[in-house]
Formats: sequence, C-alpha cells, structure tokens
Amino acid sequence: MNAEGAAQVAALEASLATDRDKSAPPSAVHLALDGVHCARCENRLRDLIGGRIATLELDLVSRTAALTPRAGGPSLAQLLLELKNAGFEPRVLGEDDPVVTMRPARRRDMARIGVAIIGAMQVMMFAWPSYFDGVPDPTIASLMRWAQFAVAIPVVAYAGWPFLAGAARTLRARTLTMDVPVALSLVMATAVSAWRTFDGSGPLYFDTATMFVALLLTGRHFESATRAQATQRLRQLAEGPPATARRIEGDEICIVKTLLLSPGDRVSVAPGEALPVDGQVEQPAEFDESLLTGESRPVTRARGDTAFAGSLNVGASPIVLRTLAGVGRTRSSEILHLLRRAAARKPAVQQRADQVAGWFTLAVLVLAAAGAALAARSGADAALSVALAVLVASCPCALSLAVPACLAAATSRLAAHGVLVTRADRLLKLAQADTALLDKTGTLTHARLHLDRIDPLRGATAQQVLRIASSLESGLRHPIALAFFAAASGSAATQVRVEAGRGVEGFVDGRRYRIGPATERIAGQDDALTWITLSDEQGSLAHFGLSAPVRDEAFETIDRLDRLGLRVELLTGDTTAPARRIASALRIPKFAAGQTPEDKLARLRALQAQGGVVLCVGDGLNDAPFLAAADASFAMPGGSAVAQARADFVLVSDRLDGLPLAIDVARQVRKRIRQNLAWAALYNLSVLPLAMVGWLPPWLAAAGMSLSSLVVVANAMRLRLPEKK
Amino acid sequence: MESLYLLIPLGVVTVVGFAGIFIAAALNGQFEELDRQQLELPDDE
Repeated sequence: MNAEGAAQVAALEASLATDRDKSAPPSAVHLALDGVHCARCENRLRDLIGGRIATLELDLVSRTAALTPRAGGPSLAQLLLELKNAGFEPRVLGEDDPVVTMRPARRRDMARIGVAIIGAMQVMMFAWPSYFDGVPDPTIASLMRWAQFAVAIPVVAYAGWPFLAGAARTLRARTLTMDVPVALSLVMATAVSAWRTFDGSGPLYFDTATMFVALLLTGRHFESATRAQATQRLRQLAEGPPATARRIEGDEICIVKTLLLSPGDRVSVAPGEALPVDGQVEQPAEFDESLLTGESRPVTRARGDTAFAGSLNVGASPIVLRTLAGVGRTRSSEILHLLRRAAARKPAVQQRADQVAGWFTLAVLVLAAAGAALAARSGADAALSVALAVLVASCPCALSLAVPACLAAATSRLAAHGVLVTRADRLLKLAQADTALLDKTGTLTHARLHLDRIDPLRGATAQQVLRIASSLESGLRHPIALAFFAAASGSAATQVRVEAGRGVEGFVDGRRYRIGPATERIAGQDDALTWITLSDEQGSLAHFGLSAPVRDEAFETIDRLDRLGLRVELLTGDTTAPARRIASALRIPKFAAGQTPEDKLARLRALQAQGGVVLCVGDGLNDAPFLAAADASFAMPGGSAVAQARADFVLVSDRLDGLPLAIDVARQVRKRIRQNLAWAALYNLSVLPLAMVGWLPPWLAAAGMSLSSLVVVANAMRLRLPEKK
Repeated sequence: MESLYLLIPLGVVTVVGFAGIFIAAALNGQFEELDRQQLELPDDE
C-alpha cells in the first residue's frame, strides 16, 4: 500500500472510530480490487472476509467493492492486509472513484493486446522457414531460434501475465478456472521451447504460445467491451448532475452546493446546463434526457411536469425548477444504485455455467495427461504436442462466455432503449412469459393524476381540505400523491403511516387524518374519475375526484403483447368503473378492480400454480409484493423506490413500449444462449478426440479455440442489433 | 544470406521498440474514447 493509501486508511480508521463512539454503524468503504476477475474470485473473497464484516457489495465489472466493517469486528487496516496477502490487490478509493478505477486496468489490457499481436506476428515471421523446409544454413537457423526466444519470452511474460497470475491465485485457493489450463499450456510451451533453444534441437512452440495469448486477449477484450457499456452508462450517470446549483432566494440567485438543496427550493437552470435534482418546471421547456432514457430526441415538459436530474436544458432560455427531492433521492441516483446492484449480482445461470466450466477444466487436465501418456510411446515430442493441443483446444473459454456475453449484449441493447435490467438472468424467464398482469394507475395511465373535483363536507372549505391532503401526501411519490403537489403548503404531516393499497394516515396540526380510496358511494359521483376520501376521527371530511389519462403508447403496447402471444390482465386497486373504462379502451379482455396487494399476489400465485409464467408491471408500494413474486417484473420510473427495488426491469424511459421490446430481446437471448452452448459443446466434443490422437497440432488448436470464443462473442453481439423479421 | 545476420537482430530491436512505444501510448490513454475528440471544440489559442 502506498503512502497516500496508508493516509486514507488512517483517516478512515479515525472516522470509523468516531462512528463507533457514536454507536452508529460504520460507513461503507469503497475499494478497488484489481485481483478480482470472476465468480470464483468473488467466492474466495466472501469466504475470506464475508463472515467478519457487515456488508460487501462487489462489482465484478469495475472490480470495485463497497465494504462495511462490522462494529467490533476486525479493523479496516487488518482487512486490507488480509486482502493484500490473498492477492486481491486492494486500494482504498474516494466516494466517487469506483467509476474511474477501470481506466488503468483498461489501458493495461490494451497495451497487453497490442504487445501480444505485434510479438506473435514477429515470432511467426522468425518461425516461418521452419513451417517449410527449414533454413539450409545452421547458423542462420540458430539465429532465428534465438530471435524467437528473445521476442516470445517477454511477450508471454507481459501479455500472458493475467493468465499466469490468475492461475496462481486459483491454485492457491485450491479451485480451478480456465486460467489454469491456459497458464499450464503457456508455461509448458514456453519452457520446453526455451530449453530447446539452448539445446539447439527439436521443434519450438513460441509461435503457438504468443498467438494463443494474442487471440485469448482479443476475445476477452470484445467480451469485456460489451460488458463495459453498462459501466460507461454508470459513469455518465454519476457525472450527469452538476455539483452546484443556482438557488433563487427572493430576488437573488445564490450558487449553492447541490447537496444543500431541499424539496421545495426554486432553482434556475441556464440553457445547456444539466438539472441538479429532480423537480417540477415552472414553464414549458425542452430537455435532453438521453442520459436517463437513451432517447436522444429532446423531450418537451409542460408547466408542472417533472424533469429529472442529469437532463440538459436544451431550450434557448433559463428555466425555473421547483425541487422535488434532495440530491440522493433523484431518479438518476436511484438508477445508479440499481445499476451498481445489478453489476454486483452474479446471474444464477452464469453461476451454473461457471460450475460446469470448473468441472470441464478438471476433465481437460485429466484428458491432457491421459493423451500425453498414450502418446509417450511415440516419444517425448509427440507426448508434449498432444498435451499442449488438448490443453489449448479444449479450454472452456467458449463455455464460460456463452451466457454472460449474451446477457451483457442484451442488457446493453435494452439500456439504449430505456429499459434498465437489474436482474439479467430474469431475461430467460421473461422469454417464457405467457401472461402479463398490469397495474392501472401510473402504469397504463400517466403517472401524474389531475385533481378534477374537490367535494368538501361538514362545512370545511376546499382550501382547508386540500392543505390537509397535500400535507399527508407530501414526500410520497405515488401518482395520487403527485396530484396534490401543486397545492403543497410546505408543511408535512407527522407520524405518517402508509398502508399499501389502503391509503395514508398521519397527524396535521395535532389532529389525526386519513386519506385513501373511497369506500362508499359519493353523491353526484362521476364514474370516470378515481375517487379518494379524506377523513378524520369523526368521519369523511372531503372527497377528491382524480382523472388519469391513458398513455399514448399503451394501445400499441397491449396490441404487441397480444401479438407476442401473452394473455393480458388488468389488476387495479381502483374502483370498477374507471377500471372497466381503461380495459375497454385498451381492449384488455380481463380486469379486476378493488384489488389489494394480497389480492394481486393471490391472482399471481393462482396463475403460477396452473403452470403459467407471469410477468407483472407496476409502480406503487402496493405493487411491490407481486413484483417480487413474479417470474419477471417491470417497474415504472415514477413509482415508489420499493417497487423499483423489487423489479427485475425498470422502464426508465417512462414509456410502456419498452415492455414488448424487452420480451422480444429476451426471446432472442434464449435463442442465442442455446446456440452458443450448442456451439461450445459441439466444438469441444469434435476437437478433443482429434487433439488426443495427435491429429491437431498445437498452433491449429490455439487458432480453433480462439475462433470458437470469437464465434460465441460475435453471436452474442448480434443481440445489440434489431432482429430482421 | 549474410544480410540476415544484421536483419534478424534488427527485427528483434525494432519489435521491442514498437512494443515499447505501443505500451507507452496505451498507458497514456491514446486509445481511449476515440469518438470523443470529434465532439471537442478546437482550441484556437
């Protein structure tokens, strides 16, 4: 650890000690872990320290981790020392550093690829005469062998280092990854060739070793470039909102840190600038929301509409924004959190593929030894050639890449269309979905409801009941709560209790109130509106009539779901009349109104019990249970954070057309994964016998293995293109 | 054939030189964000 790192550790230790003094839980420490490469490294890491710390969130893509020490557990310095001794190469990072830590590693990888390609070409040039009749002059032939030695040794040592170090780490942990056969074949080929260079006789394998490294690194580069798309987006999101904002204070504009903004502040945003936090615009304006949604065309927001942190004001004049949430609760920060969580999670299907690859590696080592033993009767040269060919040809790279490359490509394509994938392996379930359960308010209709009617009771005035209702709903993000935002008085209710699907209860001016779905028939009720009732301990105090316009794209979305073969059902907590109106307008054959979260969950369970694969779409707190239990679930971005945390996909573009697209891409993913696994199995089964009987020279094995990996990655990358119908 | 006594070592030295230059360029970010340059305004000063 360098001096700077030691100083950071000391400072962190001091802060942790202060935290402990206050009996508060220790805060998370961000680490770069350059020695973490795969799921097995992650397992080793968790085995090593997982039981003695509070939390560990690992991001395999950026090789970073957020580690929270346990109060009373081992010190941070002790943990870092253990990680260093185990070869994880930990470095302490600042809060915002994880997004830039990939840079040095990416540059080193690029340097290694270039060196490997230049070196391999040069070695093959020096080896070229030996491919034919050899060089008649023995002195020149010897000079060419020494030239191969001089180029190949540094190339294998430098460019092949990730495989050598990876194998050493794996063996120390007494596990097996594909790095082991790769490193073994590299060491064998290089060591035997070096010995023969000194000895002056026998064939050399420097060309095989350098070409193997160059092709392997190239395959890895394409695969990691596909995965890096998500990280690139993460970095852009983190950099999107500006660090300072122009807050309007009376007649003055003060520049303040974005962190200091609180809900209700008015902020001025100049043309070309990014919004610091989420807020409602006070005049119509155009925004570039491509960072959040992938949609590069400007979006027009009307007065009172919500605009999001990180969006650019692309209009010609400054706009005024009334902030909705603090900097840590913006839509971009929630997406950032979901992205980090998605990157930290290893899909179950990939874990299974890694396990299979582990066993396959063991089988390859055994077969290489068996092949060498059989060929030993024909001499040591033949035995070595067979062992090398089996090791190189059967490296399970294609098997390891088959699943993650497809999931990464699909995730990247969906992100570009405003669909954020938080659990990549659910794409496989989504491909099988046969029923879609959709929520109404905020999902099929726009998230923002309009307050159309206020019917005060018992002598109360409209202003009074509106103030009480807006106090109860302030701070909530359900579409009903947002309808009261315009009337927000600034004072929030206390002791607020939210009951999913039933309403909100709390104290305003010392009195208990409750607001929730109307339970009785209201005089003069307009059935086209959604009615909610404000009540106190004496009974109903007011009824509010809200309207929710259907999303423009909902018609086409339902039609496309139908064409994709899905049965669509509408489940809503709303009353029957508005539910029937929406179902009939959208031609949804089946709907159920007055649904509590338990009812929705029961319907989902019933469908699953009949063997159905069900996808659910929702946005509110009341949708969280059925989103969590669904085979695949989608959350709308304007909804509650809990719903988004439970969902497998978030439609960040706030448009429903991401739903059929995701199903379409998921079906393509399933097809590509099957093709890739079939290809990897077919390739390995065909080359293994050839390599074992000595019909496959090592250089051809290296080319074949690398080609098979490239085929798998290229097939996966096709997912990023729209499929031709 | 005598020229090979010079050309082969020269080939080794050249490839080592090129590899060194490539490593320096890559580690200094020469190959990063290749599509970004076109978006940057030219510096007139």
